Amino acid sequence: MADQLDLEALDTADKAALERLIIALADTKRLLGIRYSDWLIGAPSIETGIAASSMCQDEWGHARLLYAMLKQLDKDPGPFERERPASEYASTTALDEEAPDWAAVVALMVLVDGAATAVLTSFAEGSFDQANSRVPKMLAEEEFHTSLGAAWYRRLADADGEARTLLTDATSRILPSLLTWVGTDDEANGRLVALGVIEDAEARLDRFRDGIRDLTALVGIDVDAVEPAGEWDSTRGRTSGHPAEEAVERARGDRNRALFVE
Amino acid sequence: MNEIVYDVFARKDRGDTLVHIGYVDAFDDETAKVYAWKTYDEERWFEMCVVERTAIIPVNRNEGVFANARSAAHG
Repeated sequence: MADQLDLEALDTADKAALERLIIALADTKRLLGIRYSDWLIGAPSIETGIAASSMCQDEWGHARLLYAMLKQLDKDPGPFERERPASEYASTTALDEEAPDWAAVVALMVLVDGAATAVLTSFAEGSFDQANSRVPKMLAEEEFHTSLGAAWYRRLADADGEARTLLTDATSRILPSLLTWVGTDDEANGRLVALGVIEDAEARLDRFRDGIRDLTALVGIDVDAVEPAGEWDSTRGRTSGHPAEEAVERARGDRNRALFVE
Repeated sequence: MNEIVYDVFARKDRGDTLVHIGYVDAFDDETAKVYAWKTYDEERWFEMCVVERTAIIPVNRNEGVFANARSAAHG
């Protein structure tokens, strides 16, 4: 564990970098919950739908905890959760559109949850005390997501025909932008690395690749040979584009805004 | 898809009796564990276990779900 971060000693740019990291992780968790929720009905079995429902709630709980960390930076989480347009969301690109089929959901479970877990593990072991205390419980809950994702990934990879093709296509589509999301050390992330908040890009990528290497190999994809892709947006800390408006309306709770309970 | 029935047993507290709380259909042990934990999450269980239904050996009944599952699997 790194030496504790002294928030009072941070300059404006350091605080902005930490804020960007927290929002990118929180938005990714929230949108991942949305994408799981798209498949509560329509999953291959009742048990899988229940598991997806539970994972969706886990992700929203994790997002809530992450947004709440903004209070440490004297920021009110409310506007971040409920008032931003889609163009300001920092969730990873793989979540911008609804998963078109169950194989794509499985790819999200393994790859997006795997990427988020790699960065969160680094965050949990870094110098920010809120991450030290809150993230380990998230990671414990993620172990069930990892087990389910890996079991389904193996199953679809072992299948003949369409299921395997869809899984291969989804993996090929999602992976390059995730490698960029996990493994970019721009000026802001460089500050966080220097402050001990997260590990450097190479270490984060090693964590991510180690977690998925054996699975993607089942569909003939060598994660060490895949090149990162996507135009980096340093304002949000993700590649260009943004999640679909409809998903963000749900993330913000636009339709039941009058019913919010604090 | 060929799925396997797993029975789910759990206890709320250390020292409680392990009780049968339900079952899940799953395709392997790993998915059975996840499905059981996520489906029967109404309590903060101290311990939960799953077991393939066909592995349960009926002692005093030769009919019912456990006996039927075992005879279907083992003859």
